[in-house]
Amino acid sequence: MIHKILRKPQAILGLLMMLTVFAVMLFAPALAPNDPEKINIMQKFAEPSEQYPLGTDDMGRCIASRLIYGARVSMSIALPTIAAIAVISVLLATVCAYAGGIVDKLFVIISDIFMALPPFLVAMTLVGLFESKALSIVISIAAAMWVWNAQVVRTYVIREKQKPYIITCRMSGCSELRIIIKHIIPNIFPHLLVLYSTGLSGVIIMISGFAFLGLGLETGTAEWGAMLVNANKLVFSHPELIVYPGLCILFAAAGFNLFGEALRDICDPKEG
Amino acid sequence: MIKHIIARLGVLAVVLFGVSLLTFFYTSLSPVDAAQALAVRRYTRPTEEQVTQVRQELGLDQPLIKQYTGWLTKAVKGDFGNSYNTGKPIIDELSASMRPTLKLAAMALLFTALLSIPPGVLSAARKGGFADKSIYLFGIVCMSVPNYWIGFMLMLALAVNIPLFSIMGAENWKDFVLPALAIAIPTAAANIRVFRSSLLDGYNSDFVMYARARGISERKIAGMVSRYALPPLVTLLGQSFGFTIAGSAMIEFVFSIPGVGSMLVTALSSRDTVTINACVLVIAVIFVAVNFLAEIVNTLLDPKAHSKERAYDT
Repeated sequence: MIHKILRKPQAILGLLMMLTVFAVMLFAPALAPNDPEKINIMQKFAEPSEQYPLGTDDMGRCIASRLIYGARVSMSIALPTIAAIAVISVLLATVCAYAGGIVDKLFVIISDIFMALPPFLVAMTLVGLFESKALSIVISIAAAMWVWNAQVVRTYVIREKQKPYIITCRMSGCSELRIIIKHIIPNIFPHLLVLYSTGLSGVIIMISGFAFLGLGLETGTAEWGAMLVNANKLVFSHPELIVYPGLCILFAAAGFNLFGEALRDICDPKEG
Repeated sequence: MIKHIIARLGVLAVVLFGVSLLTFFYTSLSPVDAAQALAVRRYTRPTEEQVTQVRQELGLDQPLIKQYTGWLTKAVKGDFGNSYNTGKPIIDELSASMRPTLKLAAMALLFTALLSIPPGVLSAARKGGFADKSIYLFGIVCMSVPNYWIGFMLMLALAVNIPLFSIMGAENWKDFVLPALAIAIPTAAANIRVFRSSLLDGYNSDFVMYARARGISERKIAGMVSRYALPPLVTLLGQSFGFTIAGSAMIEFVFSIPGVGSMLVTALSSRDTVTINACVLVIAVIFVAVNFLAEIVNTLLDPKAHSKERAYDT
């Protein structure tokens, strides 16, 4: 598996981009030249200089530092979100696939109802209704996305469960719990990695959208989407301020997408 | 087939009922007290009594079940009550803001179809070739950017630098071109991959081998395969129409379109729960209806496949 990943250039590229984002997130204080929150009205829209590598914004804040800290804000919300989605969807899907019968039927009906609401709408409504906190974004996105992921994981588990080797396991006296933990989950793990890796890029984009609309985060937070809040006024005067945050979102999201899609090709060679 | 459609309508009714329930309880779940919020707006510093009075006036003192049934019976007739914010009937504002959003979504749907079908066909036909690889890479880039940023980039390029379009307004069709394109690009990028793989599925199936053996021209075979590969794409397109309306807030914000997305964001920031409920319910109903329509189109395209095709299964 790892061997195959290392032979695929796009997987390596995606992995490198992912690692860069993680590194920037971890070492943001060391990398940022200035305090991202420090307002300096005297230095409004400063030209790029030694002190401000990319110049300053409409409040005189260092753009480069805000972009660097943006990785930290985005990822510190996106990672717990995708972790919550992963735990909920895997748990629910395995329970349904194993309980079968009425439990599984009920799950299908309930998920049909939940999936009748577009996830972005649900997440946006919940984010808007809760207090402005990072935690409320995590809960809202997880509440909107769990069902879509649980459905996919459920098909994976059911497909894996029907394979002959599982029956062999059962015949040789493995307990059901052991089969799930030792066999099913490890075997569908690559598929899960694809799902959550591409899902993470979706979550990053979603968070930036909420920040852009002014929902969920405190105003003035150094987040990529939030940096575009005043973009309407800057279209004519300072278009570069609109371009930078978008490129950061592109870099982060594309890393996870590239890696996820490359992994998908490895998992299902038929489609590639 | 009519029997099949009637059965699906039954399921649809159950789903819609569930949706109304969910919509209502999502807003009640929140820690926000609408009565408190309105009282603050009305009296700046309300006393306990004033808050209670507002609560009674809005009917928020009644049990949740009773509130829900009252709300639903009215909503079915198209009466969503009056906005807490403006005091005017919600249905008026909603129908006014629905118009530009629907126009936007319709145009976005058209662009999405135009941008997904030809590249999908091209990359399936030239599988593994240069065109396929560049479409693949370009698709990943387009999937990884938020649509509102694409909106800004299009605005910079085609409204500011080359002034072909206006940067705001929602009067004529031309005003919707850039926003619709901004929505269509990331959606199409995701669709291309699905369409490509179902096309390849079609090319690998037996009927194509048989057609080739009979000496049918490649052009005709391409037509057959396209028809075979269409249903998943129809499902995706139907879904993307609903997603467009649900996610229209950001694009409407960029291009200053007074649509339902901006209405919802305003309602959210002023804690106007009745308006929020109305917007969410109407958007969800449209989403469900369009998905249902897509399903019927698929049944017509391929009457044999009665099984429910879903985007996430592919």
